[in-house]
Amino acid sequence: MAKNKLIGRVLATEKSPTTIDEFYFWTNSDTKLNAFDIVKVERKDNTDTFGVIESISHITDSTSFLTNFISSDFGDVDISEPTFRVGMNYARAKVSYNTKGDYTPVHNNSKVFLASPEEITFALGLDKVDNPLVCGSLKMYEGTEDEVTLPVKLNAKFLLGSEGAHLNISGISGLAAKTSYAMFLMKSIQDTYANRSDEDGSVAFVLFNVKGRDLMAIDCENTELEDKTIEEYKKLKLSQKPFKQVKYYIPYYDNKSTKKSTYLHPDDVTSYIGSKKLKKFKYVYEDDKESIEMMFANVEDPNQTMESIVSKIIDESDFDFGNLKTWSEFLETVSENSQKGSNGSKGEISVLSWRKFKRIVNKAIKNDDMFANRVVPEESECRLADELKHIKKNEVHVIDIAKLPEDKQAFVFGDAVKTIYNLKLGEYDNEGVAPPARIVIFIDELNKYASSDVPKSSPILRQILDVTERGRSLGVVLFGAEQFRSAIHKRVTGNCATHAYGRTNSIETSTGDYKSLPDTYRNMLTRLSQGEYLIQNPVFRSLLKIRFPKPIYKQFK
Amino acid sequence: MTATESVSKRKKITQILAEETGGKSYKAHKYSLDSERSSLEYSESEDHTFFWKKHGETEPPATYKSLDTLARFLAERDEQVLTYFLDGSRHVYKVDDMAYTQSGNRSVIYPTIAGQVGVGICKRENKMMIPEALMREIVLSVPSIADPSGKGGFFESLSVKLNESNELARIKQCGWKFATPIPYEIKQDERKFEDRGTARIQTAMIEREKEMVKKLVREGKLNQDNYLVKDGSLEYRLSKNDKDDDKSFQTFKQNYNWVIGLSKSFNPEACFDKGKTNPGFIADLPLYHRTPVAYFGSEKEPLAFAVWYVRLRDKSKTRTPFDGILKVEKILVREDEIKNGMETETVDRLSALIINERNPTCYGTDSRWANHIYPIYLTERFVKSQYLSAESFLHLF
Repeated sequence: MAKNKLIGRVLATEKSPTTIDEFYFWTNSDTKLNAFDIVKVERKDNTDTFGVIESISHITDSTSFLTNFISSDFGDVDISEPTFRVGMNYARAKVSYNTKGDYTPVHNNSKVFLASPEEITFALGLDKVDNPLVCGSLKMYEGTEDEVTLPVKLNAKFLLGSEGAHLNISGISGLAAKTSYAMFLMKSIQDTYANRSDEDGSVAFVLFNVKGRDLMAIDCENTELEDKTIEEYKKLKLSQKPFKQVKYYIPYYDNKSTKKSTYLHPDDVTSYIGSKKLKKFKYVYEDDKESIEMMFANVEDPNQTMESIVSKIIDESDFDFGNLKTWSEFLETVSENSQKGSNGSKGEISVLSWRKFKRIVNKAIKNDDMFANRVVPEESECRLADELKHIKKNEVHVIDIAKLPEDKQAFVFGDAVKTIYNLKLGEYDNEGVAPPARIVIFIDELNKYASSDVPKSSPILRQILDVTERGRSLGVVLFGAEQFRSAIHKRVTGNCATHAYGRTNSIETSTGDYKSLPDTYRNMLTRLSQGEYLIQNPVFRSLLKIRFPKPIYKQFK
Repeated sequence: MTATESVSKRKKITQILAEETGGKSYKAHKYSLDSERSSLEYSESEDHTFFWKKHGETEPPATYKSLDTLARFLAERDEQVLTYFLDGSRHVYKVDDMAYTQSGNRSVIYPTIAGQVGVGICKRENKMMIPEALMREIVLSVPSIADPSGKGGFFESLSVKLNESNELARIKQCGWKFATPIPYEIKQDERKFEDRGTARIQTAMIEREKEMVKKLVREGKLNQDNYLVKDGSLEYRLSKNDKDDDKSFQTFKQNYNWVIGLSKSFNPEACFDKGKTNPGFIADLPLYHRTPVAYFGSEKEPLAFAVWYVRLRDKSKTRTPFDGILKVEKILVREDEIKNGMETETVDRLSALIINERNPTCYGTDSRWANHIYPIYLTERFVKSQYLSAESFLHLF
């Protein structure tokens, strides 16, 4: 191993002592270091203490601003000085590790070195990771001749369960590349788990496409990929191929109708159907009436009147609704109940409530091909729940909800999450299903379903809370992404074991969600480039700044 | 060796002095002799060996000369010849009272004076200051009567003993050593013994400075593009050897060809204009101007100085009219210089470069900021940072 480069010495003064947690050290003012770089301090007892740089400051012997002003001939902006002021940099580092577990503060004037790649690996706790899963790469000493790039691996059990589960990705649109990062992680999971034969090692994915055609070609090659990106995938020991075993589901629409329910080009739809990887999903009244409640996800219902109407509808023995077979019969019956003078369910529910209910379901169901009488499998039609129930190991199901209005997006999402949750609960075991050990659900714009403003009675929020709170043991894992983490329900973010912080703005970083981060890191969040994330995971000894390569699958422009 | 033995073998310096000189140490109170008193008292500036002779430059201006344009021109072109900066300093303490028996079995008490002397040179490279050389030593000044024989060689052997002491061992590795103790005279006059000892240590420091300059010259580092700027007056005299030996004299002159002295403080009464003392002439020196060069010579010594003043800071921005003015000195070396004074072009150029040194300032850290130039300030800080703390130093004795 090459000799470590000596870059400075530890500072311990009355005002800034070294402690168990942190220490300061000076360096030359031209020594280039960055936040998150690891440094090594040699101690007298032959152990090494490692620290992560949190902030770097530059000072000179100038005692006040006035000194500098006076040094420019009392304010002449053109003055150049024949001697540079004596200056130095000092950095604050957070102690991350000591080779013998001795965290007594490092001593004044101890030598501070750059760490070798091996040392960086164990200083960050990346050396003995069980069930390794690549989650990106990190760069140390960036922009210097000592630059080091290392793959970062986390313990899959802390991402997919059983030790910890769920991922939350936050960051502003575009600049943070949230979807790309989630896709990169899923790609890494698929590559890692593809050939595992053990029971615990089976993973499947359910993705919701919420924007344009973004995720509608994840099994197609990206022909515009640069060599550099391919090289990055190679270095991370990931395959350079797009996703495998992908199935797409788009909301059903009649081919004769001009209204399409997807942004996917009709030719693509035809070709996908031809290669048997795309199906159009329908909701059939008899099988899907239990999901009607999902249409009320964002409706305030303080007196639970909507909820009681829904319970009445799904009650098989109900006089009015028990025997209905189609959506039109259902709408008719709802209409009847909304008539003036109708006694509803014996006066328990007011006509006004029925009318409210009617407005909402009418808007959703009427004139929508997706709500149909029956499924014709020969025409590549399906019920989404049936497909999800039979999801197999390594499969990726992409559900396209991009073109649906918000209430119907919620309906589809809620229905799918409910089905997956029930599947893993074993509700369909008698139907001969064999679900994989873990199912990853990825949804962008999580704030639509799990924001802190969503009504507490929202069935989707309830479903998401179920998943985040109990999914770890069941094997249902939520990968959620949103612009502003602070807007998400605390119980959702609180239950995520892994957090990825992407580029965001200073209004966001000033909220309570970011209080635990040191100032430098908080400010760094506002400057991160596309493809850079700060990752928090129980396995890592500190936050890590990682980067990941561009998507390997086809990109629509 | 056990710890107790090691402690018993550690003799204090005053104990060694008492043993070697046969005096009796009184272990008196030890304290610093550095005070706000000006070093003028100890130096030989009051000596009137040198006096104003004539104008000291080839084209003497009638009055003040503006260097504003030249200074700007040089700053824009980043031209620089002031490369090395020298500063010497000393911290003097009274460390003991020692009694010596004199005629009639009388015991007379004399103070033992000790000083830390440090001389450092810093080099400016790419606008950055880097240490070039540093010399540090401990100089003792004891009464001449401390030498019982008076035949010479005594103090040299005393210094060997001092350098072998255990007390020094702990700081030896940092480069500290004892210089040969210097005796001070004990004849009766109005001067206090403490002042006599201090003056001897001051002289020792000046000698070290001269040695440092000699070293730079020997290494060929000084030339027309690399001047040495010394902090303070060029109070260097020819030694007896220099005067007697022509080769030695030539070497001395050679050494000072590229050296200028910059004084932060000077005696306004000693400012001459056309042969008469005229402090007002200096006080009214406008910003970025210099005075004509004065030629100072001596009847006794074959040495001549060029002396002039430069104003770096606006009078309205300083406390007194003399703040912001630097006194510049140069020993005249070449035959033509001795005859006609310095070339006006060289004087202008050096003055303009000195004016450009006005920034950055050490405002806020040094009350003499208006008269300080930053490279000298840094050199001074460098030398002083290498001193032992007063407690540590006094603990030796």
